[in-house]
Amino acid sequence: MPALTTMARPGRATAARPGQRRRIRLSPYLFIAPFFLVFAAFGIYPLVFALQLSFTRWHGAGAATWVGLGNYAYLLTSQEFWASLGNSAVMWLLIVPVQIVAGLAGAVLLANARLRLRGLFRVAFLAPFVTPLVAMAQVWIVVFDQDYGLVNHLLNLVGLPDVGWLTSTAWSKPTLALLFLWKTTGFAIIILLAGLQAVPASVYEAAAIDGASRRRQFWSLTVPLVRRSMAFLVVVQTLAVFQMFAEPFVVTEGGPYGSTTTAGLYLYDHIAASDLGTGAANSFLLVLLVFGLSLGAVRLLRPKDEVS
Amino acid sequence: MNQTRPGPVQYALLVVLAAAFLYPIWWAVSSSLKPAAEIITDPLSVGSLTLDNYRAMFADVPIGTGFANTALVLAVKGAMTMFFCPLAGYAFAKYAFPGKNVLFGVVLLTLMLPTLVLIIPLLLEMSTLGWVNTYQALILPGSVDAFSIFWMRQTIAAIPDELIDAGRVDGASEFGVFARVVLPVIRPGLAALAVLTTMNIYNDFVWPVVAVNDTAHQTLQVVLSTLAQNVTGNRIGADFATVWGELLAAGSIAMLPLLVIFVLLQRHFINGILAGSVKG
Repeated sequence: MPALTTMARPGRATAARPGQRRRIRLSPYLFIAPFFLVFAAFGIYPLVFALQLSFTRWHGAGAATWVGLGNYAYLLTSQEFWASLGNSAVMWLLIVPVQIVAGLAGAVLLANARLRLRGLFRVAFLAPFVTPLVAMAQVWIVVFDQDYGLVNHLLNLVGLPDVGWLTSTAWSKPTLALLFLWKTTGFAIIILLAGLQAVPASVYEAAAIDGASRRRQFWSLTVPLVRRSMAFLVVVQTLAVFQMFAEPFVVTEGGPYGSTTTAGLYLYDHIAASDLGTGAANSFLLVLLVFGLSLGAVRLLRPKDEVS
Repeated sequence: MNQTRPGPVQYALLVVLAAAFLYPIWWAVSSSLKPAAEIITDPLSVGSLTLDNYRAMFADVPIGTGFANTALVLAVKGAMTMFFCPLAGYAFAKYAFPGKNVLFGVVLLTLMLPTLVLIIPLLLEMSTLGWVNTYQALILPGSVDAFSIFWMRQTIAAIPDELIDAGRVDGASEFGVFARVVLPVIRPGLAALAVLTTMNIYNDFVWPVVAVNDTAHQTLQVVLSTLAQNVTGNRIGADFATVWGELLAAGSIAMLPLLVIFVLLQRHFINGILAGSVKG
């Protein structure tokens, strides 16, 4: 029997070789074809179409009028466009620094190897990340309602007056930022925790032996070592904040007085108004901005030894 | 990290943080189960349990249709992701073929493409195709996504080549090697991909709300977002309490499936999240 198989093997291999080579040559292309088909149909085609559209004035029906860079010029000189970017920039300031600090604090608390119930805390922190945004956005409407909401009810209990959480331009952005923070800070904690746990305990032991204080260890060991995770978070959240759409769409519809019309919602307003050429131009301006911001963030947060 | 036993202060901080994350969910669910008027008059009470809000919500809101549509999109789109993305990841991880690096570069480049830029032209494409208000509009765009391919490529690259060669020597076809050798080995990665894909499709909102505007095809999230209009449309002069009661009932039901999946499969879920941060 053994002799037979050893005899049979080379023969089969030679017989299979030409066919097999052809299969190997073709099969990887077949395996990746579905992605490229879907991408060509629902990625490249609309992208090229959008680029062309951004140079025209078109309202969804009839002939499109070529306006060259007119849409771009209109947007770049439009107060509303800059206001939407300004709103997103304020949201970014309210969200990203807070999330990095809170995320790092949560991760440091969870990273302690002797912590009990870590699994339970992790579930609690991540639960908001799993809930549907639309559902929670509506809970926000109810909880932060000026007249009947839970938060003002609590304020009244301790003798404080009502606050227009969603109806005043001063509070509308922080209230939406809080929704974003509530929903995604658990995600930040888990990412930073993974970064922290990648630091071997021996590094800390060595630092402790060298007499480095706890604070010193945090700033000169922990922070540099989780820099990569922080850079990832900043990039991901910058993209998310500048594309933020569902929160203002559901909770405030961009108001009051446009104070929560984020860059993402302003883009949608063009669709709603059937002003498609301007909308397409707006998307490309937004993409350029988001690319620039992420590149800047990566550059700033890159660990020092990787700077070329 | 530092190996000193955590003290009461650390536990207290963790408990406060956990409570801040859990309380809004708890408040929404518990409030949905009490008489609607009490949500306004006494938002802190947890008293008489009632399903009135749920009964009213099922009468006013096509939430059953929403669940059915989401389930359909999830099944088809999820199956496409779970089949085609590991397959493409396998090709990029284990084959040498002309153009591979350029093609993989294209995959990576699409990772950086924000969804928003495609919304307008995609919508126009759908209307050219006559696909507005259809299931294919909800399913096909994004059905074979770049991130999942990238992730599966990383996972499959870790499989020893000898294992794959052994499968080939046994006479399996190229696809057979993938199905019978590669897939069983990466089962934990597939579980994480399944959990994360489920969450993304279930919670997806921006594209469904643009692509679909008739009740028959609305996904659960779109139904939720139009709930207030539905309630006030069905009950002329409906007060705040009624609308809020139904809102919280629908929101609680919508949260439930993912929270259950998350608690049961949290290890896979966390692995899925962390897989994303590797690319950073």
